[in-house]
Amino acid sequence: MLRTTTSPIFSSFTSKPRTSRLIFKAFNVILEDTPPSARRNASTNLTTLHQGPPTSAYVHLPFCRKRCHYCDFPILALGSSVSNAPYEEKQEDDPRITNYVNLLVREINATRTCFDTNPNLKTVFFGGGTPSLVPPKLVSLVLETLSSRFGLCPDAEISMEMDPGTFGGEKLKELMDLGVNRVSLGVQAFQEELLKACGRAHGVTEVYEAIEIVRACGVENWSMDLISSLPHQTLEMWEESLRLAIESQPSHVSVYDLQVEQGTKFGNVYTPGKSPLPSETQSAEFYKTASSMLRGAGYEHYEVSSYSKDEGFKCKHNLIYWGNKPFYAFGLGSASYVGGLRFSRPRRLKEYTNYVADLENGAANWCGDGNVDLKDVATDIIMLSFRTSKGLEVKEFGEAFGRKVVNSICKVYEPYVESGHIVCLDDMRREVMSDEFKKLVGDDEVKIEDHVRYLRLRDPDGFLLSNELISLAFGVISP
Amino acid sequence: MAMAYAMDLSPPTSFFLSPTSSSLRRLSSLPVSTFNRHSNRRLQILCQATAGTQPQSNNLSDTGSKLAARSGQDRLLKVPISRIRNFSIIAHIDHGKSTLADKLLQVTGTVQNRDMKEQFLDNMDLERERGITIKLQAARMRYVYEDTPYCLNLIDTPGHVDFSYEVSRSLAACEGALLVVDASQGVEAQTLANVYLALENNLEIIPVVNKIDLPGAEPEQVLREIEEVIGLDCSKAILCSAKEGIGITEILNAIVQRIPPPPETAEKPFRALIFDSYYDPYRGVIVYFRVIDGKVKKGDRILFMASGKDYFADEIGVLSPNQIQVDELYAGEVGYISASIRSVADARVGDTITNFSRKAESSLPGYEEATPMVFCGLFPVDADQFPDLRDALEKLQLNDAALKFEPETSSAMGFGFRCGFLGLLHMEIVQERLEREYNLNLITTAPSVVYKVHTVNGDITMCSNPSLLPQPGLRKSVEEPYVKIELLTPKDYIGALMELAQDRRGEFKEMKYIAENRASLLYELPLAEMVGDFFDQLKSRTKGYASMEYSVIGYRESDLIKLDILINAELVEPLSTIVHRDKAYSVGRALTQKLKELIPRQMFKVPIQACIGSKVIASEALSAIRKDVLAKCYGGDISRKKKLLKKQAAGKKRMKAIGRVDVPQEAFMAVLKLEKEVL
Repeated sequence: MLRTTTSPIFSSFTSKPRTSRLIFKAFNVILEDTPPSARRNASTNLTTLHQGPPTSAYVHLPFCRKRCHYCDFPILALGSSVSNAPYEEKQEDDPRITNYVNLLVREINATRTCFDTNPNLKTVFFGGGTPSLVPPKLVSLVLETLSSRFGLCPDAEISMEMDPGTFGGEKLKELMDLGVNRVSLGVQAFQEELLKACGRAHGVTEVYEAIEIVRACGVENWSMDLISSLPHQTLEMWEESLRLAIESQPSHVSVYDLQVEQGTKFGNVYTPGKSPLPSETQSAEFYKTASSMLRGAGYEHYEVSSYSKDEGFKCKHNLIYWGNKPFYAFGLGSASYVGGLRFSRPRRLKEYTNYVADLENGAANWCGDGNVDLKDVATDIIMLSFRTSKGLEVKEFGEAFGRKVVNSICKVYEPYVESGHIVCLDDMRREVMSDEFKKLVGDDEVKIEDHVRYLRLRDPDGFLLSNELISLAFGVISP
Repeated sequence: MAMAYAMDLSPPTSFFLSPTSSSLRRLSSLPVSTFNRHSNRRLQILCQATAGTQPQSNNLSDTGSKLAARSGQDRLLKVPISRIRNFSIIAHIDHGKSTLADKLLQVTGTVQNRDMKEQFLDNMDLERERGITIKLQAARMRYVYEDTPYCLNLIDTPGHVDFSYEVSRSLAACEGALLVVDASQGVEAQTLANVYLALENNLEIIPVVNKIDLPGAEPEQVLREIEEVIGLDCSKAILCSAKEGIGITEILNAIVQRIPPPPETAEKPFRALIFDSYYDPYRGVIVYFRVIDGKVKKGDRILFMASGKDYFADEIGVLSPNQIQVDELYAGEVGYISASIRSVADARVGDTITNFSRKAESSLPGYEEATPMVFCGLFPVDADQFPDLRDALEKLQLNDAALKFEPETSSAMGFGFRCGFLGLLHMEIVQERLEREYNLNLITTAPSVVYKVHTVNGDITMCSNPSLLPQPGLRKSVEEPYVKIELLTPKDYIGALMELAQDRRGEFKEMKYIAENRASLLYELPLAEMVGDFFDQLKSRTKGYASMEYSVIGYRESDLIKLDILINAELVEPLSTIVHRDKAYSVGRALTQKLKELIPRQMFKVPIQACIGSKVIASEALSAIRKDVLAKCYGGDISRKKKLLKKQAAGKKRMKAIGRVDVPQEAFMAVLKLEKEVL
């Protein structure tokens, strides 16, 4: 049951007695501190965001022709038979896909919520895997199910991850007719040897073809995904990729710095920072190059790894994540955030099948009861908002979690404001200079939030060290 | 299986401040043996000791062991003073003292075969593990010689110079001592010092050559060495193998025949010498003592003459080796008292116990306050453990009157204590007990000695903490304690040892051959040079063959400076050290290099410097982290990323902030360890 919270913040303490005691200890200062008005308005503040009904849904379509060497996602590899015939829509008959989508539809249908209102979905994101391997007919089935279950806004953002070599013009058109209006194209690199080195199922030719198809079909809102710091990648190659990306004129670019994950092929053979992977310094250089070239070409660097042509092309679905707002998720291994609970579905098909059956029997516990650990919410907000160029809204954060926390965070960040890793902005988003910030932090009489409205990481130096900087704030919240 | 394992464990470095003269006198340690002898325990003989006949080795009979056992059962029976023998064993580490003691207990039936465990007298786990005796114990045995029962009291001594005061007190409680020398090793430096101590106490010394069964045994050679080096008459020396049970009865007989009985002073007012005490959490302090004059009964009101405290003796008894209650103890006997005493400081080793209502005129000689000579800072890794550390130190102090401590605060390490120890082993043992018995996680600063600082205004201050050394402008000169050190070594290693002593600013004094193959080297060197890894070096450079002994000879002026470590231009006080100017450069270089290795990179460049005053003598720089970003939050699943960030935040929490730099505890520990090595 989700409570509408006009009661004090206590009600949102977790039910585990031990944890709640700890939380109370840490936050009791804050409660005294919070002005009564803020408490009364609690239903609109950061601590209760999660209690509302989600308006976004993530749908996991896990099929790939083969697993890329860096990938540790829950995927189902279909094998080479598919890759041999990318444009023929043979897959339609692949029972593995059909069965999975049927299961997915069952999951969506079995998802019952108990919100007072049930607003229509504003964003849907088909992620994978390679969702473009799924026949449009089945995508349509999923969208229909979502629509009948939750409703779908007519102008909803419907994104789909697509890989070069897995779709033709006809298929894309079909998908667009179904409502898919944003394409995220997994290009990753423009160099044959790099694509091969990371085990991609396509080559450079398919990349150019795919770009051509997307543009020919008139997809206005499309994003190109690139990966930096690939093995054997040089700065020249990276600059070439960025240049070619810019020339293709996507409305959005996502640049991912390669993460070497345990259990992947890369994880087994490579060590981050060691050849053939670029050194840490080179890798940082790649990041800075992307930032300066893309911004030079008119893209806004609005999140650690996201660039958009203008406001309208920011990924609305991802903004939900970064705003710590609730969202549904369906499919193998997908993670949802509803009622304050972050829930990950089983990553293996068999367990996922059981999960769906449990859900149908009402035995699955995927939705939170609205109770959250305040510290968890605070750290979520910190880590998510610092990813964005908008940054952390100091005043809102202070109202939700207490002025003392804000003061402590400012104190911890003071040296990094001075070193330029962190930027302070006032109401008008004008930069507050470090000397002034130092004075504000040093003066106990001053309410920092009256002078500093936002704290954000500087692009690119602050973004590059985001983990270090975010973990400093974590240390303040959970000392 | 039968190899000794205590060889290199404990640096024997300490000394003893003589109470009688202002000069510092040399003392040394009693060694202990540590033999594993599980395998042939059953085959070892059990001497039947009722008739004074010498049972044959390897001739174990059921009757024999029963008789021995019966004799053991009777050991509480009183015998006249003339039939009491109080003795201790002097031996170098590994020369077989504990094996011999165990064997004596077994042969006299004091300990039943089935209760026998190795090194019976060593009670603490730590002792048994390290094979060294830290606290003394005593054992009362009954031995029938020529149809007359005798009461033998073995008073065990700690095997280390750090505890030389305790050694001297336990020797003072005896009339005789067994000098045990390994038949293949010969006389060692510490043995020598302890024998001199025993001779000073007028003890009858019975030379025993042990381990004659070993292939390398040269008993004749060793006997000659004892005669030449110590000057003892070895015509009546006993050859034995404690392990094989050879010569045990001869030893028991010699104790009866040659060690004099205690004087008949039972009618005098009660006086007893404390040779050990320990704190029992349920009964308070248990005091081990030797009655010198008079007698004591259960329920007597007793007075400790040095501390001035008085108590009622709730319980008295003998040690055999377990505590067994008796009603009365009289002159010559050895026993214990339990009187609900709160702290060992009230009943210190060396103090005299007397009767409250019939006080003795004077206390027994030889009592002295413990003087710590080596100091170090102890800090809890987790600041929350500070109160626990204080409690633990207080508890240890209940049991260890030589342990001194006072609170110390340091910018980098937080709250802790500056502790004073008798020597390095004492320090190590206290640290280990704190960690092991009290579950504390500690950081120790490099041990330092006490410097004598002459200030410009003519004052003299004593300084044991580098961070408290007066500024260079305020001090006229600094003196440091010097020791005279005697090294005994096979002649092949003379060169290696001379090199070591030279490295440590040693001043060569004398070299002489004590036997054809063995030499004695005499050096004078600063104590500070010895509190590092000197003993480890000595052992490793001589493959374990050399032994050493030292005594403080006083203070000398040296060109000493304070070496500071700066991390990101912030002084890190706990890493400051006092070193000789000539060594400052190499020490500075080693420390900065080590720190560079150990400090994780920060978000900015961090200079690491070693300085004398404001002059930088060594410098390293830690480059800045270039990139630490997790690029993607896949599919809204932030839990994994958050876990990583939490881990990172927790990692920072474990570090100490030096200005803006996070320094992990391990870095401090490693550097402090390095300081011990390079200083």
